[in-house]
Amino acid sequence: MKNSAVFFLGLFAVFALSWAGIVLGTQAQLGDLAPHFDEMEEKAFPLRQSGLATRGQQVFQDLGCIACHTQQVRRPDFGSDQARGWGDRQSVSRDYLYQARPLLGNQRSGPDLANYGARAEARELTEADMLVELYNGSDERPPHRFLFEVREILGEPSPKALHGVAPEGYELVPTERALNLVAYLFSLKQTYDFAEAQPYEGGEDAAEGGAQ
Amino acid sequence: MSANNSPQNDRAADPRLEQLAASDESLLHVHDRASAGAPDVGARYQLLPLALLFIFSGLIFYGGTYLNRYSGHFSAEVFDERKLPGGEVQVVQIDPITLGKRQYALACVTCHMPNGQGLPTVYPSLVDSEWVTGSEERLIRIVMHGLKGPVTVKGETFNAAAMPAFGQVPGSGYNWSDERIAAVLTYIRQEWGNDATPIETATVAAVRAEIPARAEWSEAELLAIP
Amino acid sequence: MTTSSSPALAEVSDLDRSARWPLAFLILASLGWLVFSGFTALLNTLQVLEPRLLADCEWFIYGRLQAIQESAFLYGWAVNAALAVGLWLLVRLGGAPLRAANWVAVGALFWNLGLTLGLGGIAAGHMTSFALFQLPDYIQPLMLAAFAAMAAPGVLAWTGRRERPTFASQWYVVAALFLFPWAFSVAQVMLLFAPVRGVLQPIIATWFGQNFLGLFLAPIAIAVLYYLLPKIKGQVLPAYDFAPYGFWALLLFASWTGGRHLIGGPVPAWLPTTAIAAASMLLFHHLILALNLRGLFAPGGSLALKFAAGGLAAYLLSGLSDAVFSMRGLSVITHFTYFEQAQSQLFLGAFSLSIFAAIYTLAPRLLGIVWPSVTLIRAHFLASFIGIPVLVLVLALAGWQQGVALADAEIPLRTIAANTRPWLQVAAAAQAVLLFGNLTFLVHFAGLLCFSRRGGASIAQFRQLQALEATAS
Repeated sequence: MKNSAVFFLGLFAVFALSWAGIVLGTQAQLGDLAPHFDEMEEKAFPLRQSGLATRGQQVFQDLGCIACHTQQVRRPDFGSDQARGWGDRQSVSRDYLYQARPLLGNQRSGPDLANYGARAEARELTEADMLVELYNGSDERPPHRFLFEVREILGEPSPKALHGVAPEGYELVPTERALNLVAYLFSLKQTYDFAEAQPYEGGEDAAEGGAQ
Repeated sequence: MSANNSPQNDRAADPRLEQLAASDESLLHVHDRASAGAPDVGARYQLLPLALLFIFSGLIFYGGTYLNRYSGHFSAEVFDERKLPGGEVQVVQIDPITLGKRQYALACVTCHMPNGQGLPTVYPSLVDSEWVTGSEERLIRIVMHGLKGPVTVKGETFNAAAMPAFGQVPGSGYNWSDERIAAVLTYIRQEWGNDATPIETATVAAVRAEIPARAEWSEAELLAIP
Repeated sequence: MTTSSSPALAEVSDLDRSARWPLAFLILASLGWLVFSGFTALLNTLQVLEPRLLADCEWFIYGRLQAIQESAFLYGWAVNAALAVGLWLLVRLGGAPLRAANWVAVGALFWNLGLTLGLGGIAAGHMTSFALFQLPDYIQPLMLAAFAAMAAPGVLAWTGRRERPTFASQWYVVAALFLFPWAFSVAQVMLLFAPVRGVLQPIIATWFGQNFLGLFLAPIAIAVLYYLLPKIKGQVLPAYDFAPYGFWALLLFASWTGGRHLIGGPVPAWLPTTAIAAASMLLFHHLILALNLRGLFAPGGSLALKFAAGGLAAYLLSGLSDAVFSMRGLSVITHFTYFEQAQSQLFLGAFSLSIFAAIYTLAPRLLGIVWPSVTLIRAHFLASFIGIPVLVLVLALAGWQQGVALADAEIPLRTIAANTRPWLQVAAAAQAVLLFGNLTFLVHFAGLLCFSRRGGASIAQFRQLQALEATAS
């Protein structure tokens, strides 16, 4: 280690190894990942985000929702994600292809949201329900009052106003950001069955046999 | 944490000032000599290097085995470490009825209506129609290249039929693959109480190979075909 | 910078004097951020216990405050302190006065200015949502430039050293200063300015985060431990001929272990698998470190040695827990829970304790006077050695319970949240203790600075340095 040049060369080489392996390696593998075109549906999956949803993702990111919510469903025998009804299959790389910033998350104080839109649809949750939930919060989740305006009804009430929350003579109107956020949450769907998302069927033997 | 009387200190250590014992020069030089390794007197192997070598080999062996076992051959498509790439590629068989129903809903439905009944005097019905449940060859040609002019269906005459070409032929606005045409034809031959044989993709492909390009058929031309 | 009137100067070596004000500024700033992040951390935990706390103040809602707390700790406390200590070690071992000290001063100024703006940006909603990389994109290039300005004099101190032989501490510090800008710039370009697609983003963010902790903070802490033990005890390290292997093992494996945070996620399985294997291989580095530095655990050590011993113990434990709990069978429980926070607190605790040891040793040498108060030192020591273990333990237990409950689909999240409440109350208490301890440290250091200007405290009487006993092993 007396020779600076050799030392720096060593540092460079060793770090380049991990850089090449992880950064360049995954880039080579996934950089040209393409959506899957389904002949039957005549659509490519994953679907592109709508403009509203993209703006909603920005709101999700700005508020730091990632501090409590993950967006990744794990396979059936690894955690209880699917048993909890968070999704029907494992999330795969392709699901996040069109997300400007995939928000996988690393803390699960709240439910996973990777498939929230599909769940909301199944439970027939409307945007208005979601907005009211957002406004009120719960024992575990803080309310997000600043995404709404309470204003006096002067003349015609706003068509966007939420019912049954504001006092008489006032109306509760969600801001643009609240609507975008909800549009984003409703757009979160990982329902298309990609081939690579199939759960592992083989037993221990199959894995062992393959590894040799 | 309080004042310590460590044995080598001649006065009580003051936590307010950490006293240093060795000079930086000696630190460098003594350790530099130490890093050259102690001379191996009499070819006697020292225990520590051997033990470390052993441990390192063990870790390498363990890491290598683990990597080999659970790397999924470093495939980008393997998300479950127990899987191996390519082992279970499934050829998804698309049900022709489902595909045909989709195709029907995309285009045919505008004229022939969701119930296949068409519109009296303008668009012929597909239900129980001799054209639909009858000759495969004629039916395929109608959808592939289109049909123009008067046509008689179930005894009713339609004066100005204008069925466009759907196949992958010049002048077609749809360019449906043979598979799609076969699927949609199978669908209409088996829906709404119709009960005819399915149409194979190969039959459709044969027709297209035989007649790669032509104008719309007329009723007379079609009736000449078995 | 003209302080020649101060009587303290007589005792200070030329080497330390050359770096006095830039390093004093870095330490003061780092301690300020440490207290700030401790305060926000406490507030953040209280927000979990009482979700309505500050919920209507958009600037400090839970998600944003967490990012602020994390960034203030890492980029404020850790980087400032690491640079101060790292530069001091390089100057000392290099044997030549700090060159380009102005660069350090300017860099430190802009680094802390940038950080302040960045934290304001997070409060205003411009966080990136990448863990350990939360500062807004518009402030990131400034941070990189400021870091480079501070790190360059360090590399100069290495290349321009008086003696040809080098010591382990120097390798670690130089590696840290050299590799961090690389990882930092890669992350900035690939995540913010020309973002890669889809899950490549979390993969690269994890890679950067691991390099930040494993190849920047860890090497600085290790450099401190390697330096203080022989310097204070006057003994040769017992297994020093293996130190290079320990060094290269860290560099080779640490960077690969980040993938353990993506286990089970939508990334190719080989990524977590290599991370798990690398975390185990990294234990070789920990083993060599333990062999060399076991003298720290000897009873009757001085104050700095006790801090350093705490740091080493936490570092070794952290390596072990990373290797063990990254295994898929265990991480299926601990992933996404407070347990992972406990692991990161353990690692950061190791870093902080080592740096505390270094600051207690170097500040009197930098400023020429002794620390003003024994009581404040004791308070800080007690708070650190109570706060960190309790916090780590409580978070680990809470996380384990949370993980076991999460694995059972029958237990609703509401129940899980309610069950972790008592643990988090203890965690909040531990954070309050830590905050108190770090506040005393900040006050103490500020006092030291004041006294050094006014000459109101006792001048440091350094003992005559001896040559190292060569036969100590």
